[in-house]
Amino acid sequence: MARWLKFLIAIALGIAAGMLYGWVVSPVEYVDTTPDSLREDYKADFVLMVAEAYQAEDDLGWAARRLGILGDLEPTQIVAQAVAFALKNGYSPADLVLMQKLAEDIQSWNPSWEAPIP
Amino acid sequence: MNRDQRGPWYLLTGLVLGVALGLVYAWVLAPVKYVDTVPDMLREDYKAQYRALVAAAYMATGDLPRAQARLDQLNDPEVARTVAIQAQQALAEGRPEAETRALGLLAVALGQGPAPIPTLPEAPLPATDVPAETPVETPSVEAPLATATSTLSVASATPAPTRRTPLPTNTPLPTRTASPTPGAPFVLQDQTLVCNPNLGQPLIQVEAYDAAGQPVPGVEVIVAWNGEQGAGEDRFFTGLKPELGLGYADLVLTPGITYTLSLADGGQPVPDLVAAECESDGGDRYWGSWLLVFAQP
Repeated sequence: MARWLKFLIAIALGIAAGMLYGWVVSPVEYVDTTPDSLREDYKADFVLMVAEAYQAEDDLGWAARRLGILGDLEPTQIVAQAVAFALKNGYSPADLVLMQKLAEDIQSWNPSWEAPIP
Repeated sequence: MNRDQRGPWYLLTGLVLGVALGLVYAWVLAPVKYVDTVPDMLREDYKAQYRALVAAAYMATGDLPRAQARLDQLNDPEVARTVAIQAQQALAEGRPEAETRALGLLAVALGQGPAPIPTLPEAPLPATDVPAETPVETPSVEAPLATATSTLSVASATPAPTRRTPLPTNTPLPTRTASPTPGAPFVLQDQTLVCNPNLGQPLIQVEAYDAAGQPVPGVEVIVAWNGEQGAGEDRFFTGLKPELGLGYADLVLTPGITYTLSLADGGQPVPDLVAAECESDGGDRYWGSWLLVFAQP
């Protein structure tokens, strides 16, 4: 076998060993994740918590800020996705009512209402 | 040196080069992506926000099992203590009172533990109780939130009729909502100098009881002081140290400073609290603590 071919095979074996080590033996560990990476059911429960708190606090701005940590999507989209998940997965009617109330109210929320953060 | 004398080192070079390329690809170019993470993996500040939100939802619903189920996702074996510490930190950082209060009351409720769960009947109800071939509408206390692979299942906030539950299920869990007893302002019932060398440092200890003599958590205590180094004010809540009693709170006294204590709910302030000395049997002197007992008439 030609030397250059053996050299290429050695490189390929090395790449395979490196990927095995990087992906399987010692993959990049995500221990400090952000809420936008949460699984869909946890995100939906997060939105449900916001809806439960909103029911008592009646503070749309505070609810929007809480939803904001779930990612870059608009709060309306975040709630809409959660409601869709809740409908698909059989949440209790009481929970659905809370989430749908939040979904309706959040549409009228305007970021410009919020006081600028110093 | 001719080609044959160079030996197999080129193979090792290729292997090392390959490993380096493989690691660059696996760690930098295409690292493992965690897109379906769980709350346990959140960064610590997001975990704190998560706990605060659980507390806010708990304040709204009073559903302790649901709050516990949510906090369980953080895999914290001492979650009650963690929530209590967060409540104290929130208070010290001047976070909104609603957040501090919610965290404090949740910590107290977690310290108390869940209310007793009624025993489920082992056998289904007799056939006569459920008409045959009629959809059964029963209250459900479980709302499965997740997909088939999920482990998250949280009790519903308010039990509601559902057709998804084929058999009679448990009745709604009674939950205790820890909150100050509404009623008359607290009145100072007793003020005692406690001489206990085991306390280690002088304290103002507060205990709050309702008219029935039950300890009351979540009572906001305001302490103002005036000393050579200036004046100040601190606020704290009863119940944040549930191991010492649900109506208990304390603050460390600095000798030489005069304190005035009052409860946020009203009532007469207690002025001129200063660290006082005690004497042990052996003649050693140490600082005592003030125990103030408040009760609703």
